[in-house]
Amino acid sequence: MSVAEPLLEVSNVETSYGPIIAVRGVSFTVPRGAIVTILGANGAGKTTILKTVSGVMDPQKGTMRLDGREIQGMDPDRVMRLGLSHVPEGREVFPFLTVRENLKMGAYTRADGEGVAEDLAMVYGYFPVLRARADQRAGHLSGGEQQMLAISRALMARPKMMLLDEPSLGLAPKLVTEIFDIIVRINRERGVTVLLVEQNAHMALTIADYGYVLEVGRIVMEDTCARLVEKEDIKEFYLGVKERGIRGARRWKRKKTWR
Amino acid sequence: MALTGGDGIGTVYGQDTLPKLFRHVVRERGDKVALREKHLGIWRAITWRQYGERARHVGLGLVALGLRPRDVVSVIADNCPEWLYTDLGTLSVGGVTNGIYTTDSPAQIEYIVNDSGTRFFFAENEEQLDKILAVRGRCPSLVKIVVFDMDGLHGFRDEQVVAFQALLELGARYDREQPDAFDRMVEIARADDLAILVYTSGTTGPSKGAMLSHRNILFQLEYADFLTPPQEGDQQLSFLPLCHVAERTFTVFNPLHTGATVNFAENVDTVPENLREVAPSVFFAVPRIWEKFYSGVALRMRDATPLGKLAYRWAIGVGMRIAERRIRGERPTPWLRLLYRAADFFVLDNVKRSMGLHRARGVATGAAPIAPDLIKWYMALGLEMREVYGQTENCGLATAMPPQRIKLGTVGVARGGTHVKISPQGEILLKGTHVFLGYYKNPGKTAETIVDGWLHTGDVGRLDEHGFLTITDRMKDIIITAGGKNVTPSEIENQLKFSPYISDAVVIGDQRRFLSCLVMIDHETVAQFAQERNVPFTNFASLCRAKEVQDLIWSEIERVNRGLARVETIKKFRLIEQILTPEDDELTPTMKLKRAFVNRKYKDVIDGMYTEV
Repeated sequence: MSVAEPLLEVSNVETSYGPIIAVRGVSFTVPRGAIVTILGANGAGKTTILKTVSGVMDPQKGTMRLDGREIQGMDPDRVMRLGLSHVPEGREVFPFLTVRENLKMGAYTRADGEGVAEDLAMVYGYFPVLRARADQRAGHLSGGEQQMLAISRALMARPKMMLLDEPSLGLAPKLVTEIFDIIVRINRERGVTVLLVEQNAHMALTIADYGYVLEVGRIVMEDTCARLVEKEDIKEFYLGVKERGIRGARRWKRKKTWR
Repeated sequence: MALTGGDGIGTVYGQDTLPKLFRHVVRERGDKVALREKHLGIWRAITWRQYGERARHVGLGLVALGLRPRDVVSVIADNCPEWLYTDLGTLSVGGVTNGIYTTDSPAQIEYIVNDSGTRFFFAENEEQLDKILAVRGRCPSLVKIVVFDMDGLHGFRDEQVVAFQALLELGARYDREQPDAFDRMVEIARADDLAILVYTSGTTGPSKGAMLSHRNILFQLEYADFLTPPQEGDQQLSFLPLCHVAERTFTVFNPLHTGATVNFAENVDTVPENLREVAPSVFFAVPRIWEKFYSGVALRMRDATPLGKLAYRWAIGVGMRIAERRIRGERPTPWLRLLYRAADFFVLDNVKRSMGLHRARGVATGAAPIAPDLIKWYMALGLEMREVYGQTENCGLATAMPPQRIKLGTVGVARGGTHVKISPQGEILLKGTHVFLGYYKNPGKTAETIVDGWLHTGDVGRLDEHGFLTITDRMKDIIITAGGKNVTPSEIENQLKFSPYISDAVVIGDQRRFLSCLVMIDHETVAQFAQERNVPFTNFASLCRAKEVQDLIWSEIERVNRGLARVETIKKFRLIEQILTPEDDELTPTMKLKRAFVNRKYKDVIDGMYTEV
């Protein structure tokens, strides 16, 4: 990993829903300017981690530092003002507001009118379709367009870091590629650090620099994505690559060893 | 002092072979419940009549496929009723059964199939089938492969592969056509004939097939009630590998004598739940399991309320006082008994319930060394915990702790009909009807192991004047340090394993200046420790490298060191930074670290401990 001080440092975070511990002692770091991904199956605790980082949920234990400042237990709006935008799972755009209004909601905390106008032009640049639909209600957009809107809305706050929760959810494969391309461009061109949670492991491992694998609330593996794709467990359980086996068909799964 | 036993000839209910005994008890017990397995979440009972019929059809089905007397049938499956049908079915028609560990690789399976000349191979499911299919081209003796569970194989057709259900139908047809054939076949086996092969898990060299006769097994069976006299409705839980002689005896053979119902655990991960559901009357487990249960309670008590902690400490204290008196051979005073009743009612019974052992009248530990303190803890809970000792080559049991006199740190006294002596080299020798026939097709090794009727166990130990046997170590494991001091590593290792944070350890120091050890941490407990202390970690390796974890393990080692002579203290250690599974060569199927292999594999790590300043 990079030697520079990480933008986000999560250490021993434990979060629970009442008696059910969803995240049990998770630690990871996100270097400045990087794309880091957290992979995991349903219910592994990925979304909970993002919600904990952005302040929607409070951790029972552990510390989180964003740019050197402790943020655990902070209200989400304060975390957001510190430069962290959360693109939630399922997009959650404001359906009765227009696209433009939605985007302006993203810039709600900003006072620099000129900068906001610039950024509006920037997101229209990334997603021209949003400009074409600027006056339509967001609820009338397609799933892919809503996802673009959600990402754009987050960008409107000019964040240092974006949390992306399953941006590929429910989208056609072609759209998924498109959106991921733009995520990479935003990262490279705008210098926005990205923490990405995905079930589409193939996509996530292609664009991210570093990855963590989460299983039942615990990190079981971490490495650069280039090395992760070479691991047997990742291949079989996350990328669906399977040896054909002796009969040319194999249903049983090998045991995970996380090496 | 000696334990009582049977008549010493090897007959149970007047029967002298397993087929005859099985036929006898099936007739006697009829619709009583023999086995229970969980199907879609519900325990389903299998009666002795059904058990008998299915085994009969397996046997006859194999005959229909061409099985001849003394043919070897190998089974690779987790514990399930089909395993038992196959075992007793094969034996009933004069065949020989052999179990293979489900964690074995295709190469290991190929070796065993060829070494044993296996003609019929039973595979549990698709996964195990794939292993044998991969190597069958090099297994010339193989005739047919039978698959228990055909899930995922409906489209699969192969001349050599038969579904278990089809085999049963084949056997049933044979039975209808020749109704008295089975009873004739039951008479084929003679008492001194080979009944089963047990491949020793062998920590060094290729594994060898130990040959056990009907007489060996029945001689042990006479003694099946040694833990506690059987009662109607007794329950057992089967979960350790059936390829191991201890579990095989406990699950397949002992109930032929005791009539206990065998319940099959769903899988290794559900053993704690299944144990609570079944609440067995008799229970046998290896030290690793006992250590895990203890760690579980110890950890739960750490998170308990102050009142809970206080109550536990008081209750276990009362239990300990009772245990200590029992060990000294004294009866507890009436006052202490009263206190214990209260302690049991309020605390200890709940602890036992949480483990599912509240109905256990007899529990035993064996197959590996155990820390005496652990036995004492279980005794304090009020469990009749007995340590047993034996090996594959004597069909399981050689010595056991007598209930009337407990001497911790020893493995008890010889079972009935067993002679124990110590050779001039310090090796434990055994003689009795349970001493095996020898290693399969290996007269050289057999001659080394059985000399003048004495079985050379390879264990070093001593006998005291009352006949209590103490095991010091495996002969080949004894460490001689560079200073010339003899050290028995397993004593130190057992004390280390008593720590809830240490899953297993290997002490090193042969021809070295000082002792060191490699430690495998207990993932669950150490991770919990790290979380409580806010120690950041990601994966297993980073957990092992955390300074706090290193310090924790060192403090556990120091605790053990305090009880050791100076030359025996551990000076350095390293943690094994990988989660090991039974598929790994480092572990035996019963999750013990293999000393020789670990020494080789981690040579660099070990050398590192001796070169750094």
